[in-house]
Amino acid sequence: MTTTAHQPASAPVDDTPPVLPLGASRLLAGVRPDRPISHAEHRRLAGPLVHRTHAWLVDASHRAGLLGRGGAAFPVATKLAAIATADRPEVVVNGTESEPASWKDRLLMRRAPHRVLDGALVVAAAHQARSVTIAVHDRGSASALLAAARERGDAAAISVVLTGGGFVSGEAAALISGLEGRPAVPPGRRVLPTVQGLGRRPTFVSNVETFAQLGLLATLGLGEFASVGGPTEAGTSLVTLLGDPPRRGVAEVVNGTPLSALIGPVGARPVLVGGYHGTWLGPADPLGLGPGLDRAALRAAGVHWGAGVLAVLPGDTCALGEVARVAAWLASESAGQCGPCTFGLASVAHDLTALHAGRPVDPADLRRRLGLVDGRGACAHPDGVVRFVASALAVMPDEVDAHLRGGCGRPLRGCLPVPGSAA
Amino acid sequence: MSPHRIAVDWSRCDGHGLCARLLAERIALDDWGFPVVSPAPLTDDDLGRARAVVRACPQLALRIEHT
Repeated sequence: MTTTAHQPASAPVDDTPPVLPLGASRLLAGVRPDRPISHAEHRRLAGPLVHRTHAWLVDASHRAGLLGRGGAAFPVATKLAAIATADRPEVVVNGTESEPASWKDRLLMRRAPHRVLDGALVVAAAHQARSVTIAVHDRGSASALLAAARERGDAAAISVVLTGGGFVSGEAAALISGLEGRPAVPPGRRVLPTVQGLGRRPTFVSNVETFAQLGLLATLGLGEFASVGGPTEAGTSLVTLLGDPPRRGVAEVVNGTPLSALIGPVGARPVLVGGYHGTWLGPADPLGLGPGLDRAALRAAGVHWGAGVLAVLPGDTCALGEVARVAAWLASESAGQCGPCTFGLASVAHDLTALHAGRPVDPADLRRRLGLVDGRGACAHPDGVVRFVASALAVMPDEVDAHLRGGCGRPLRGCLPVPGSAA
Repeated sequence: MSPHRIAVDWSRCDGHGLCARLLAERIALDDWGFPVVSPAPLTDDDLGRARAVVRACPQLALRIEHT
């Protein structure tokens, strides 16, 4: 067990949000509001760790319909199947959670670190992994994971690495680049990490929650794991609720749960699904009647579940200002490598800021430029920002009109968090 | 119809715009001077000229990919 710090030391502030009891308690079973679950408590709750073969994990994650929890919702079975055990792959657990609206990964690592370690050990053992690295961006998660690893005798081979960097540095290929000591930016030509990842070796890299779900799947077995869940994906998902839902925090939710059960009646308030690369839904979207928490069905409806954020915008804040503020931050988080992202997002953010301030902006030209940015970058950052902004403009036509006439009259409260601000 | 298309490495492209001058019927420039490549697969006739454009890019940002 080692740790590497790339950030100046600072006292960790425990700003972890509360856990909301919303129907499921598996990964977050028994969590305490103020400290991590100890290894003894964890083993009492979870039972002994069960190891499985590579073939078993591929088959079970396929049957469970397990999708990656970092945002891309890639089928876990496909990614696992791309790794040959004989290659002695590297295993990288991505706990960088660089999405400012999301808290689920940090909460999992800080409050239930043994779930993450269990999952990492299950994947490592099934693949005879050469190394296991857990990469995080925050000190609170790093110290919880390190303390948890010290409590148990089977985690000596796990490295916890505290990496720096902004939003796009958490993208899998950028993360690997950063772990190798190079700039943590996405490479221009995509090579799958399963083919060539850490140290140019085959690498299984996935989100922390994905690992925790794999650990749970191995321990419970497919039958019990799939005893709850939705039509296409078994089990549960971690969700961050923010803005103005009935309760704010992180919840573990059975897949397939209607979104309306999580956020209550929203009336005319816009709802953001999936976070800052996600999709805004308005009153016209059949949120409560839709597929619920089902990544595949949502994706088919053009809604990206992303990192699992649901935000309800309060009625007393300037909705357009909230969108403009997040868009400006997202534009500033471009790695600056790719022209359409660097210049296009800056131009989009500039127009949104101007519109918010009541200055003249041509919304049709803004939409045209959004179309120019989409799909033209080394990573999915520009595509995600375009989705966030374009869906906001689509569900808030009255807000756009009000600002074209000078403003909506509501203050900008800053309900959607961006780093470096008080909100 | 050959199953090829022109792909851009966005991390290399600096918006010199040479490609759009050499293959104007397939490559336009956006508001910021970066190439907008027609998504249609290259015809056999286009392939030779597309290869010349790939060689001409001062940033080596273009390549021909199988679709």
